[in-house]
Amino acid sequence: MSVPLGYYLMFGGVLFTIGLCGALTRKNAIAVLISIEIMFNAAILNFVVFWYYLHNGALTGQMFALFAIAVAAAESAVGLALVIAVYRHYKSVDVDEMRSLKG
Amino acid sequence: MNIVFITVSAITVLGALLAVTLRNLVHCLLALVLFFLGIAAHFFLMRADFLGAVQILIYIGAVAVLILFAIMLTRNISGTEGGRGSLGGGWWFGVGVAALLAGVMCLCARRCELISKLPYGATEEGVVKEIGRLLVKDWVVPLEVMAVLLTAALIGAVVIALEEKR
Repeated sequence: MSVPLGYYLMFGGVLFTIGLCGALTRKNAIAVLISIEIMFNAAILNFVVFWYYLHNGALTGQMFALFAIAVAAAESAVGLALVIAVYRHYKSVDVDEMRSLKG
Repeated sequence: MNIVFITVSAITVLGALLAVTLRNLVHCLLALVLFFLGIAAHFFLMRADFLGAVQILIYIGAVAVLILFAIMLTRNISGTEGGRGSLGGGWWFGVGVAALLAGVMCLCARRCELISKLPYGATEEGVVKEIGRLLVKDWVVPLEVMAVLLTAALIGAVVIALEEKR
């Protein structure tokens, strides 16, 4: 496949910023978590892209991406548990309404 | 440029855009599954077959279902977000920051001129075997640390989501 590395990097950057945009603008906490998943996947895609272009027979890049996927799965489980706990407390998952710690 | 790359990338970006813009959270989740599938297709295109399978298994099989459970446990019956719209007050600020970052990253990525190397030779005889061998030889300590982390996350998620005592 003869795609230059720059296009893959642009693609990953665009995906990351779409996720960032969602994480900064959405109000629902679950939508924010979905956006964070998109950012995670863009980062993992970059690991694999650099592995594909720069590897010399080693699988280190793939292993790193594998561990990153595992960490992301643990993060999403804990994050969704937090969302459910917050919902039980506030009866809402609107991030604008969670301001008990605001000074 | 490769037509397959363009098609799969367009589908993936479409999925991501829909996932962050749609109002109904279940529709967001379906768009997110499309996005995960696009990423997995990219992994397959880059000859990372095992990672593509892992992506489908973990993200579509586990994370998407987890998010679906969270949506069903928390949302109101209608499923859409509140009447004031799904965006927060300073949404233009977030969009501006993200657009700025996208511009900077695309400018940097344009200067990158590497072309793909030769295909990975070991693909035909099975990357999975090699990954399995590496996991229990060179990467055994990270593997064990990951096992501890996943156990901690499991216990932590259960404890956090438990019913509060009155």
